[in-house]
Amino acid sequence: MREQIRSWLESGEMDAFLGFKEVEGHPIPHLFSKANLAELEGLIVNAPRYPLETLVAEMLQSQPGMKLGVLGDETTRRALNVLSIWNQVSPESVRVIDPDQFAPEEKGARKVFRVSEPGPVKLERGIDNRLGVDAIQALDGDDRVRRWMYEFQKCIKCYGCRNICPVCFCKECSLEHQDLISTGTVLTEVPIFHLVRAVHMAGRCIDCGMCEQACPADIPLRLLYRKVNSIVMELFDYENGLSSDQPPLSVLGEKVVLELKPIH
Amino acid sequence: MEYKIIPSVCSYCGTGCGVLFKVMNGRLVGTLPNKTHPVNEGGLCIKGWNLHEYVNSFLRLTSPLVKVKGRFHKATWDEAIQVAADHFTSIVEKYGPDSVGVLVSAKMTNEENFLAQKFARAVIGTNNVDHCARL
Ligand code: SF4
Ligand code: SF4
Ligand code: SF4
Repeated sequence: MREQIRSWLESGEMDAFLGFKEVEGHPIPHLFSKANLAELEGLIVNAPRYPLETLVAEMLQSQPGMKLGVLGDETTRRALNVLSIWNQVSPESVRVIDPDQFAPEEKGARKVFRVSEPGPVKLERGIDNRLGVDAIQALDGDDRVRRWMYEFQKCIKCYGCRNICPVCFCKECSLEHQDLISTGTVLTEVPIFHLVRAVHMAGRCIDCGMCEQACPADIPLRLLYRKVNSIVMELFDYENGLSSDQPPLSVLGEKVVLELKPIH
Repeated sequence: MEYKIIPSVCSYCGTGCGVLFKVMNGRLVGTLPNKTHPVNEGGLCIKGWNLHEYVNSFLRLTSPLVKVKGRFHKATWDEAIQVAADHFTSIVEKYGPDSVGVLVSAKMTNEENFLAQKFARAVIGTNNVDHCARL
């Protein structure tokens, strides 16, 4: 795989390749290019998931027409697909290089940095993040609402779930929209904060799991968005990142329309 | 195109979360949590997530300011420290050492905090030492 990337970079078929390299003991996203070919030896393929798709979009906005490669997998492809549906990247500019297609044995497991083992309080009052949509749906209605509310009230409003999300890119984020959410106050308005985001993830979330990993309060966000998107799938037969048109839901309420960052 | 990710440590509180700075063409454009950092394991609070904003802020102080006749003026470190020292000396002479308090920071090293309390006790002569976590 390294050889292939090297030859693409050398021939100019690819201007730069976004992968990972070890810096101070951490696998850190790194841009490999013709100028630093020797560094390709240090390419790491099993780093934890980072929002490389966002970095790709930022680079393409600053230098359109650039030909980029990015280390990734099926999830990366779906994220880029969502970004291209929303005009954030042009699909012909990015090529996803999946190490599995070259040498799966080389890849090994992704480095896991935090294993979520729910403690006794979370098990009694909250929701085990490892459960599936059906298991939660099977709970009694009141109990389910109570458990979700317990999870939501832990939120520290760090906006990490939005910041790390590869498919969150709206110019004016609804989570900062005064009519929907009050900004600048610490206690999060529950459950509205989480539900507004959940609605916005309908038709977009590609289930990468990064929001949940970034959540300091260990709220089962991925599960919430899975539920929302199972409804989108059921009602509209729309599968995020695989369907090629814009999702059926792009308007929220009367006035707030998803307005995107201009691509230039 | 130059895009660099630079590991660093959040400067806002004593927790010391690991962050990654996104630097595109020489400009700091964003912050990410360091997912393998033992302190924060991939999470950050709202301050850490927005570190790049204060670095790029036009309000950021890049040199010491000294107030002369009610207005701030840019000064060198030597000038600023001299002014502070002179004022401390005159306050201590007039009102005694306990009119001064020293507030240290959870974000400093143990050694720096040690030096600060030493400064308070040995140089100024007061036990008024406290730190930001109790403010
Ligand atoms: S799983 Fe979370 S971070 Fe990933 S696309 Fe969905 S909402 Fe965004
Ligand atoms: S990452 Fe978690 S704690 Fe932070 S705003 Fe999102 S839900 Fe709240
Ligand atoms: S991210 Fe927040 S908790 Fe972490 S060091 Fe910075 S201010 Fe402290």
